[in-house]
Amino acid sequence: MKAAPTLDGRLRIDVETDLDVVVLKSVVGDAAGETGSLADKLAAGMAGEIADDWQEFVLPDLREHYDQQVGTVARALADLSPGMAVFVAREDAGSWYGTFNQARLALEDRYQLSVKSPGPATPERRTALIRSNFYQVIQGMLLGFLMQE
Amino acid sequence: MSATQTVTREVTALDQPWNVVVHDDPVNLMDYVTWVFMKVLGYPRARAEKLMMEVHEQGRSVVWTGEREMAEHYTHQLQAFQLKTTMEKTDV
Repeated sequence: MKAAPTLDGRLRIDVETDLDVVVLKSVVGDAAGETGSLADKLAAGMAGEIADDWQEFVLPDLREHYDQQVGTVARALADLSPGMAVFVAREDAGSWYGTFNQARLALEDRYQLSVKSPGPATPERRTALIRSNFYQVIQGMLLGFLMQE
Repeated sequence: MSATQTVTREVTALDQPWNVVVHDDPVNLMDYVTWVFMKVLGYPRARAEKLMMEVHEQGRSVVWTGEREMAEHYTHQLQAFQLKTTMEKTDV
């Protein structure tokens, strides 16, 4: 897989192999499991007197926002196959960054990747760490090339 | 016939200010947090970086203080950018 900025201000991601396709598409699955509860987690600890209002009025909006981010990326990757390229435009960079972030938050939640494992890592945890690191690299490129003024 | 006297007493109380608090997490990138503070709160880079470092080193930072309505707006925005954010009344 190759990723680089284009002259017209987009980020181009070239997928070369079947494995590239699987790895890139995995972000949708990793992120999708998180959208339902992410809003609750980010708002946890809100002061008591506004917690109920937040639950009723704000969290549904946040859930919809997170779902839309994942939907944008899922549609862009739906027909991806080896030899193709995905182009991320500046106006979609927030959705892409947000989707990769949701995926990393979900993996962190599930595997505690930031905590050093006391024993040998399971294959699931190892692959989760690799995916999380890959997502972070893409996030760095989105932030550096598309999101900074 | 007795006269009716109406006494009006006016009480003015200022609403207690609210803090918008951003909490540390192991996922969000430092450059991203700085960028979000600049975008959502309109801070210059130096101030945004200082607050980001506060979050990173102290686990939390009060990034804005003021009226409840604006505090809710900023909290909503920061959560939309996936930063763990809460509101709390100031100790005043």
